[in-house]
Formats: sequence, C-alpha cells, structure tokens
Amino acid sequence: MENAAYVGLSRQMTLRRELDVVANNIANAETTGFKVEQLLVGTEVGERARNYAVRPGVSFVLDKGLGRDYGQGALEQTSRPLDFGIEGEGAFFVVADGPDGAGGEAYTRDGAFTLDPEGRLVTGQGRPVLGDGQEIVLDPARGTPAVAADGTISQNGQPVGRLTVVRFDVLSVLEKGGDGVYRNTSNTTPVEANDARIRQGMLEASNVNPLIEITNLIEIQRAYERVTKMIENANDLSRRSVERLGKVS
Amino acid sequence: MRALRTAASGMAAQQTNVEVISNNIANMNTVGFKRQRAEFQDLLYHNVERMGATSSAAGTVVPTGIQIGAGVRTGSVYRITEQGTPERTGNRFDLAIDGKGYFQITLPSGETGYTRAGNLSLNGQGQMVTDDGYLLEPAITIPQDAVDVVISKTGEVQVIVQGTPEPQVVGTLQIATFFNEAGLEAIGDNLLLETAASGAATPGTPGDPGFGQLLQGYTEASNVDAVAEISALIIAQRAYEMNSKVISTADEMMAVSAQVKS
Repeated sequence: MENAAYVGLSRQMTLRRELDVVANNIANAETTGFKVEQLLVGTEVGERARNYAVRPGVSFVLDKGLGRDYGQGALEQTSRPLDFGIEGEGAFFVVADGPDGAGGEAYTRDGAFTLDPEGRLVTGQGRPVLGDGQEIVLDPARGTPAVAADGTISQNGQPVGRLTVVRFDVLSVLEKGGDGVYRNTSNTTPVEANDARIRQGMLEASNVNPLIEITNLIEIQRAYERVTKMIENANDLSRRSVERLGKVS
Repeated sequence: MRALRTAASGMAAQQTNVEVISNNIANMNTVGFKRQRAEFQDLLYHNVERMGATSSAAGTVVPTGIQIGAGVRTGSVYRITEQGTPERTGNRFDLAIDGKGYFQITLPSGETGYTRAGNLSLNGQGQMVTDDGYLLEPAITIPQDAVDVVISKTGEVQVIVQGTPEPQVVGTLQIATFFNEAGLEAIGDNLLLETAASGAATPGTPGDPGFGQLLQGYTEASNVDAVAEISALIIAQRAYEMNSKVISTADEMMAVSAQVKS
C-alpha cells in the first residue's frame, strides 16, 4: 500500500539532489574553467513493502553517478600575459598540490596564473604550476614572457621553460577538489596532450549553458510537484479506504 | 536544502563582480588606473558517493561517484597591468611611463608608495610633488630662475636658466619595478604599497632593460575599456538573476512539500 509513497519519496530525494547540482552549475556559470555537471539517475528494483511472489518488483529512483561534461569552454580574451587558456578537450595544466607539492599533483583548467615573490608561476591559490614535472621560474627583469601554442615560454626571445598540459585516458578517475582543481583518484598516470594548444592572454569560460540550466530548473520543480501530487493522491486513497472499511454498517 | 546556500554564494559572487566592474567604470578617467577583474573559484565538494567505491558484494566499482558542489567564491580580484594609452596634456610636469615601472612617492608616514599617475607639479620649495603634495623619490628641486624644464626618456631632469645657454642637470628620476605587480596593495589616491606577494621594489633608471621610458607632457590614461565593462556588467546581472531563480525554485519546492495534506 505504501509503495507509491516510498517510490515518490525516492524521486523527491533525487530531485533535491539534482537541484543542488543545477544550483552549483548556475553559481559557477562565471567560474573560469568550470565544467558543467549532471546527476545521472536510474531505476533500482527494490523489495516491495510487502512481498508478493507473482507481481514484478517495484522500481525506485536512485542517483547512480555524476556525469561531467569536459567539453571545451569559450576562450575569452583578457590580454594579461599570465592568463592561459587550453584549446583542446580534456587537457589540464599540472600544478603541485599542497605546500611545496607535498600532496602530489593536481590538475586544473583555470589558467589565471600569477608570480610569487620568488618568481615562480603559481595559480591564484599559490599552487606552483609544473611544466615537465618542474616548477616554472621567470625572471621579471627580462620582460614579459611570451608563450607559444606548444607551451614554450620565452623571455627576450630566449626559451626559459615549458608549460605542459596532460590528458587522462579515462576522465572519470578525476575528482573535483574545489578551487578549480581536480585530483586523480586512481593509479593511472596522465600522458602529455600534444594536440592541445595553449593560448596566452586568454581564459577559458565555464561551459555552463544558462538556457539548459534554467530549463533543468523548471523541469526539476515541475517533476517535484508531480511526485508530491502523486504522494498526496496515494495518501488520499489510503485515508478514504480506511474511512470506508472502518464504517460499521 | 543545499541549493539555497549554493545559489546565495552565486549571488554574493556576482555582487562582488558588479562592485569590481563599477569601480572600473568609475575610474575610467583616473590617470594611471589599472582595471581589475574578479576571478571565481568553485567551493568545496561533498562526496555523496565516492568514485572507485565498491558498490556490491561482487566487487563492482562506482565508476563516476557523486560529488555535489557547495557553490562559488571569489578567488581573487587582480589588477590587469596592461599599458594605458599616453594622453598628451602639454603640461611639462606630466609624465607617463611607457612600459614597466612605478614612480616612487614618499608618503607622509615615511613609507614609500608607488604610482603610475605622473601628473606632478611643484610645491612652494620647487620640489616635484604629486597632486596630494607628496614628494617624489629621489627628490628633485627645480631652481626658481628656471625658464624651462626638459625631462628626457631616461629620467634626466634638465633646466634652462635665463642667461645660460647650456641646460643644467638637476637630478635623475627613478622608477621601480616589481616581481609580481599584481601583488601590490592599492591604498587609494592612485597609490600602491609593496607587499610580501609583490616582492621588493627594484629601483632603476627609466629606459634600462626591464624598465619603461618616460614621456614628458603626457599622462597615462586608465586601461579601462568601457565597452568590455558594460558587457561584463550585463553578464553579471543575468548571472545574478539566474541564481535568484534557483533560490525561488528551491523555496517553491520546499513549499510544495510543506503543504502536503496528511
């Protein structure tokens, strides 16, 4: 009897979680290098509240995972020499994680870099940027660095280092760590992405499509209302049957 | 409901964005002003289901996991130190730096401030000072009987005194560069202060390698691009509206649940 309420509840829970994901997408619509996410929802055949041998099982709704669209975001011109955008899907800048790289490597698409007092190229949070596994040190006295599409950094025409981008075979091993940083959760090692191009003076916008997100928002809201209505109807039904059956004629 | 707080963080971030943009627009005609840009970062993620976790007794593994983000925050607001256009003023004490470097100013507190605003003038003692009367460092005094002042590209200040055909050198201007210009702290009045992030100032002669040249009779206009700022303002406004739409949706969904008849 209560199956309808439980199925409805499972959908309501996933819808709330979907709303959380959409809210995060919209909040990060202007975040550099942000990749849009979507909750993957599936059916889960579960036990019924009371077991009947003949009827098929009841399908509950369950969130099975999170899909992340690693598609290219638009490159926006900023004209700042230490802003870099990656042209090439699924490629990441490598940064040292934690103080002095103690946390291993992390990966990011947010190329708004700056220099620390020692002249190292660092992210906005001070994580050193790595090129070929090495920290990149620039000499400010030698003028504005110029970065070629393959990542070669030169000052006054002299090469001083290289900015490298890497790619994973399977992107689902990456976990978001906040601050625009991704961490590797598996033992696989990324390989250098030779086909990706580095664009100096540009930043990659998030790939959130506001129209799709607002449509998702409306759909979630309406679906939530429908499910709530369904639970209400099921409640109504059981209340009326109790009233009717309980009547002494 | 997490969505409410997530959307609120989005609105707060866009509010900061609008504040930065409005400051840029307000300072569009400020001499030597460098435009700023707000840079956003995603907040922490909550792992609802960790990727790689075992999902059944048979050893199957969750391929993607579920991570739900908590919104956005302003990562940094940095200055874009792009060169501003030199504008001709004709005033012989107006100086623009073409290239890297900052004028050094002695603040009343004794500290050294740095500025790109080269609209200088003379005080009662004939010393070169800023609009606020702060002394230029190293101090340069122009003799009272000088009829003309010529400041070369390399900062040499020459005066022509009546009756003497040869120009006399009264001093050389110096400018300072920084390892990380974006790390300088703005204190208003077109002034910047050195910080740990900027690194120590490197004083030098204008025109030397790594230092800009001086242009006499010019001031450096701000590098604010009005069209870019206005479009950024529109984008920020729409992003703010979308976040408020999330709040109203979350609110309506909660209202639907709260009004269920039992």
